[in-house]
Amino acid sequence: MTGSISRGRRYGLLLLLLCGFGVVLFRLFTLQVLQAAELSVKADRQHRKTVSLEGARGTIVDRHGKVLAMNVEVPSVFGVPNALDSPLKTARQLSPILHVQTDELERKLRQDRSFVWLARKLDPEQGRRLDRLSFDGIGIVMEGRRFYPKGSLLAHVLGFSGMDGEGLEGVEHRYESYLRGEKRMMVLQRDALGRTVFPRGVTERSPTPGQSLMLTIDEVIQYIAERELEDAVGRAQAKSGTVIVLDPKTGAVLAMAVSPRFDPNAVSALGPDRWRNKALTDAYEPGSTMKAMMAAAAIEERVVRPNTMVFGEHGHMTIANTVIHDHERLGWVSFAQVIQKSSNIGAAKIGMALGEQRLYRYLQAFGFGQRTEIDLPGEGAGLVRNPRDWGRRSVASISMGQEIGVTPLQMVAAVAAIANGGVLMKPYVVSEVRDADGHILRQVPPQAKRQVISPETARSVTKILEGVITDGTGAKAAIRGFRVAGKTGTAQKIDPRTGTYSTSRFVASFTGYVPADNPQLAMIVVIDEPQGDAWGGAVAAPAFSRVGEQVLSYLGVSSNEPVTLVMASRKS
Amino acid sequence: MKAFAVFLGLCLVFVFVWERVDVVRIGYQIERLKRDKTVLERQRDELRVKFSTLSASDRIARLATEKLGMSLPQQGQIIVVQSRPVQFRPTDVHRPDVVPVELKIAKNYLPSGRF
Repeated sequence: MTGSISRGRRYGLLLLLLCGFGVVLFRLFTLQVLQAAELSVKADRQHRKTVSLEGARGTIVDRHGKVLAMNVEVPSVFGVPNALDSPLKTARQLSPILHVQTDELERKLRQDRSFVWLARKLDPEQGRRLDRLSFDGIGIVMEGRRFYPKGSLLAHVLGFSGMDGEGLEGVEHRYESYLRGEKRMMVLQRDALGRTVFPRGVTERSPTPGQSLMLTIDEVIQYIAERELEDAVGRAQAKSGTVIVLDPKTGAVLAMAVSPRFDPNAVSALGPDRWRNKALTDAYEPGSTMKAMMAAAAIEERVVRPNTMVFGEHGHMTIANTVIHDHERLGWVSFAQVIQKSSNIGAAKIGMALGEQRLYRYLQAFGFGQRTEIDLPGEGAGLVRNPRDWGRRSVASISMGQEIGVTPLQMVAAVAAIANGGVLMKPYVVSEVRDADGHILRQVPPQAKRQVISPETARSVTKILEGVITDGTGAKAAIRGFRVAGKTGTAQKIDPRTGTYSTSRFVASFTGYVPADNPQLAMIVVIDEPQGDAWGGAVAAPAFSRVGEQVLSYLGVSSNEPVTLVMASRKS
Repeated sequence: MKAFAVFLGLCLVFVFVWERVDVVRIGYQIERLKRDKTVLERQRDELRVKFSTLSASDRIARLATEKLGMSLPQQGQIIVVQSRPVQFRPTDVHRPDVVPVELKIAKNYLPSGRF
């Protein structure tokens, strides 16, 4: 029969089908049972993508909430050299966008590697240009980049962070644990096209961003301080300079300016000498500004009163076979005039009357020779030797600011203590820590360290220091309409070649507070190696006056001095 | 009854498949919204940086002096007037320690008809 299939053929067909099913079943058994473990791992690897996510680094703002440092996600470009057809062509196309030389890009793209960074943390605009183009073997990932929108303003305090976002200097370094965002590994599920379908466990929360810091610094006061410091350093053709402005009642740092400045947005080309915060790391011999503290100690210990008469030895006095000079040949003067005229001989005499133990005790009480414990890294302790190591002239030298090393921060903190009725406050720069939603997590209260001198002594010293401006060496620190108290200082630097005091290299300084009767600002101006007229009263005092006047005006502090206003009008 | 059971079974299978498909669809939607959110947050951060850069005191002072011809007040030109004046008699004007200061007020800021 032609229409019927023979029995043998039917069995043959059945056998063939059975064999086919057998092969399929065998394959299934191999895949699902024998290779199950290995293949499920492989599938998991293809479908699941583990990504490392890091919360954005916290923002740093000034005391009015103005942004000083913040993170923005920017593109970084990488290459996969093995996947490139023409490294040269790709390098030529990328070069104008990445601002990297073509041959350098080509060299990177020809490496025998599966991944190579071409440029990291580009500007957002460069990222947008890259988005418009498509390159095989070139990829973009987003990374957080630290921006300092005010440029060099406050750079020495803020510090900067490294390429991987870790704080390396300043507040960025000191508060790293607060600023750094949480790092989390997250598992995502991908489809056949590599798109993310759904995060495994959709309830997984995103990594928490870093906490934000509010500083005590006021951007405007900082700007005024930096501008006037640059001006003073420029006028004096000096090597460097420092201005610190404190609130004497709380110890809050309102401004901390260091010259020369640097831009933390482009720090890679600069060395540590440029970004070191000299206001708190570098010690200098303060010279006559130390007489303010010596005067406070002597009055507190009742060694002298402001009107006690002191003989000025007509400008020359021999102590321990060395001669101390005064710039003015003074005869009998009151103790107040000793300070106002900045007499070295008078200060030495009073220092000797005070004695080394009491002098040393007050140096320590004012915070010299120890860190102020400001919340910034790298602070130096200065240098105050133990009286055991003092020579025969040491008491006299220290009383006029020699044989002692202080940082500008220590000096302004000590002067602020006199302004604050004798209470030494701990200086600080961070006032609040907030979470990403702006909730306050921690508030830093002002911290009093100790009562160094009595309020009565502080008032007496203030009166003497006011005389420095009205009748003494600090006339150029005067601010119209306000009572200023302060002290000038001009210290010779040690000549490293001879080991003796240089006759051409000085540190000129002025430190004081204003208004003297209700201090709102305590300030120090230090100018390192001014040329020409290097006196503190000529170089640093005018900068104190200019900063003080503008800051008082900005803060709305009104004058107590009577001033007549005459309104001038003209008919049109 | 048998047909109803089959129909119910098919419905359950359909609901299960529909639910799985919808989960995937919503997953894609969430991912798209997350990307949009990230882009918007990035734009917000860029704008914050830009605002902060443009409002820097340094830049404003430079624009004021270079473009608008303004200048910094000289020493003594800044006077903060107390809201609660200290005791001061008109005759004090003649005291030697009182310095008269000429106060210029721009005409535009005075009430009309009173100049």
